[in-house]
Amino acid sequence: MKVTINSWRGVATWRWVANDDNCGICRMPFDASCPDCKIPGDDCPLVWGQCSHCFHIHCIMKWLNSQQTSLLCPMCRQEWKFKE
Amino acid sequence: MDNLSNSSTNSSTLEKWLEYNFPILINKIKPDVQNDDMEATEENFKMLSLSFCLQSLVIPKIEKYMRIIIAPKFWSKFVNVSEIDEKQGFQNFTTSVNELYTDSSKLLPMLKKLELAGSCKDEYCMYSQVNILDYFKLIIRGTLLSQIPLYHTTIIEHFYKTAFNVFCNIEASSTTEDLHNNSTILCEGCKQEQSNCQCQIIVDVFHETNKKLIQLGLLERLVGSILTSLIHIRIESHVHRVCNRTFDSSQLEPLECWLETVVMNWLIRIYSGGSSRSMSLDYKVRNAINTFKQKLSYFLYETYTRERIDQLFNIVIEYPDSRAAVDDLRICLERTDLRKYLIRTLQEALKTRLLHPGVSTPDILTAYIAAIKALRQLDPTGMLLETITEPIKVYLRRREDTVRCVVSGLLDESSTSDLADELARGGESIQLDVDGGASPQEDKEDWENWQPDPVDADPTEFMSTTRGRRRVSDIISMLVNVYGSQDLFVNEYRTLLADRLLSQLNYQTDREIRHLELLKRRFGEHQLHHCEVMIKDIYDSKRIDGNVQLDKKYNSEKANFSTSALILSAQFWPPFKEEWKLELPVYVQEQLDKYVKAFEALKGNRTLCWKPHLGNVNLDIETRDRKLNLNISPIHATLILHFQDKNEWNLDELSELMHVPTTVLRRKIGYWVSQALLVETSRDTFSLQEEIATNNSRNIQTTIVTDMIDDEEVESAMASASDQREEELQVFWSYIVGMLTNLDSMPLDRIHQMLKMFASQGSGAVECGLPELRLFLDNKVRQHQLLFSSGLYKLPKP
Repeated sequence: MKVTINSWRGVATWRWVANDDNCGICRMPFDASCPDCKIPGDDCPLVWGQCSHCFHIHCIMKWLNSQQTSLLCPMCRQEWKFKE
Repeated sequence: MDNLSNSSTNSSTLEKWLEYNFPILINKIKPDVQNDDMEATEENFKMLSLSFCLQSLVIPKIEKYMRIIIAPKFWSKFVNVSEIDEKQGFQNFTTSVNELYTDSSKLLPMLKKLELAGSCKDEYCMYSQVNILDYFKLIIRGTLLSQIPLYHTTIIEHFYKTAFNVFCNIEASSTTEDLHNNSTILCEGCKQEQSNCQCQIIVDVFHETNKKLIQLGLLERLVGSILTSLIHIRIESHVHRVCNRTFDSSQLEPLECWLETVVMNWLIRIYSGGSSRSMSLDYKVRNAINTFKQKLSYFLYETYTRERIDQLFNIVIEYPDSRAAVDDLRICLERTDLRKYLIRTLQEALKTRLLHPGVSTPDILTAYIAAIKALRQLDPTGMLLETITEPIKVYLRRREDTVRCVVSGLLDESSTSDLADELARGGESIQLDVDGGASPQEDKEDWENWQPDPVDADPTEFMSTTRGRRRVSDIISMLVNVYGSQDLFVNEYRTLLADRLLSQLNYQTDREIRHLELLKRRFGEHQLHHCEVMIKDIYDSKRIDGNVQLDKKYNSEKANFSTSALILSAQFWPPFKEEWKLELPVYVQEQLDKYVKAFEALKGNRTLCWKPHLGNVNLDIETRDRKLNLNISPIHATLILHFQDKNEWNLDELSELMHVPTTVLRRKIGYWVSQALLVETSRDTFSLQEEIATNNSRNIQTTIVTDMIDDEEVESAMASASDQREEELQVFWSYIVGMLTNLDSMPLDRIHQMLKMFASQGSGAVECGLPELRLFLDNKVRQHQLLFSSGLYKLPKP
């Protein structure tokens, strides 16, 4: 008997490669969108800080905008800098 | 006789004269000899009545005569009814009436003379102020009825039944000629051979008899009730016959027409003694007939309504075709008082014919939809619908697959699905019972057309009736409201959608998008947001896959088969069934890993987790005598790929290699056995079959297995709704464990209260009812994670 595979269509789920499951600000899973978004993934991406913490981009932007003086990571209180 | 007036008249002359003129006084009907001299004149009577009351002399004698001679003679024909057949009965009655008539007419000359004498002058005499003839009729009636034998009705029935049969037959034959042709030997009317049909004679005799009865004033009293019951029976049998036909034509008009022509004509003939024209009747009789007609008409309606109500279940099932019958029923209900009967009967019919385990859920749903449509036509206020379909709702709530059936009905593309049509037609968004009262605005707009609820409306339902009226307009809302919650339906739809999206071979989503848009109009955007993301996942997968295929690294090391993927957002899909993780053949897994690499390169910081048991594989199989091209699931593909390396496998070996339980494997391997590629050589050992066996018995077995496989293949890839729910409830488990560690043991309602206080707060909190919690806890008890004794739950001692 000879079996030839013509095509293999698999099913997969995607996830962010992050050191946590949930966004520290909105407490939603990273793989879901932030509360303001409807579509996860490209439309609601994650960003990493230099302190290695990551958040939904919309969440951290909202946080940073609300800060009066210096911009700190909400998790470790270090100065927030986007990881390049 | 001039000397009569003289005071010197001797008593013997007077006596002779009285005896001559009123022979009844000496118990005779006629004087022995005719003597004109003795004939009384008006003058004489006037003189006489001045001095004494003739009536009180004569009438008691007549009464006695009636009592002793005439009445017993009349009734003598009415005994031994059990031995008398219909024909005999007819004759007996005729003779009796004839004799009564002749006997009574013999008394007439005397009565006339009494009449001449004028009424009694003594105002205390009971015969003053009476009309002698009327009084005579009264005597006849009174005497006859006072001696009425027990079973007299039988004879009278015989008489009228015979006559009515003949009459109906004449009526029928005058309208439908062909009925009477040589096909029947016996005449339908008189049950005689056609050649000596007695119909005409019977009719003549009948009318003659009726005329006599009318003259005697006996018709109403003697035969009225029998006539009524006879006609009632007639109406019943006629209505029954009419109702046996299909429901697609209205029967009211023909029935009224029948009543008017056949029954009323007959009645008029009876009352008029032969002529069929009502013109010749006097006012009083016409009135009587009219009253009679009204009663009969009501009876006709009532009979018809009852008959239709008894058939109502069938009418409902056949609904769009039985529209005419429903219309009839609606008109009838307005005229009769049978709503309660209707509700009871239909509910009973539903219970015995629909709501039992033998009926499949789709059938119940079809019937329910038909009932909604039919009852809506029957009663536009929706009151009947609400009351009658309550048991259906209760029953559907108990069925596990109701939601699934409704949802698949909604998505059914074939033209037979009522629900899909209804969905496509669109409509207002679903209003739930819990949404609060109807807006006062709406009530005000329509206040001029306000109608009170029907009298039989349940007052406790009063609050919901305004909304009830609105809900009636929409079948889908009614079905969704069976559960009082949209969540179940949305979840079920999500599961169904997931299966459909995963099972399709290309990235086609047009149809699903269309359905989703239709559903969104009903359930609202928010509820279906997850589904939207799911469809978008499929759509995006196509694009991502396109990009991955262009990846240089991926292409350079490409295997000899193409790979693609559906990439899902796990958070938005219903949970997958994942009791085991399938181990794919190494070279396939390598290829998939390469795909992941390409994806990671494309989308930074993201990776893929394969669901190895899901997907679709297209492969060619070539054996010595066959060539197959198949689209199968990964697990089937993995199985057959292993057989390529080695011809014979034991299930346990395979299980170890593929990381799949043997029970599952045995089911899956059945597919290849049905394809006649594998044979079970010994228990749990399968080997490859290069050539198809020509043994017939095996072929038969094969087809059976195929059927079995087909059943199995529709199994859902998603966890069932109840599993999902259980997963949700797990949230509570940590709370419960915490509670019980601190407080040792607690009753159910305490636990429920605590959970309500601590666990179910904030948005997105899981709601959990008391019964559901009990089920959950009992489940934990069964798993030995909890102890339950004397109403208290506690944790087992470690």
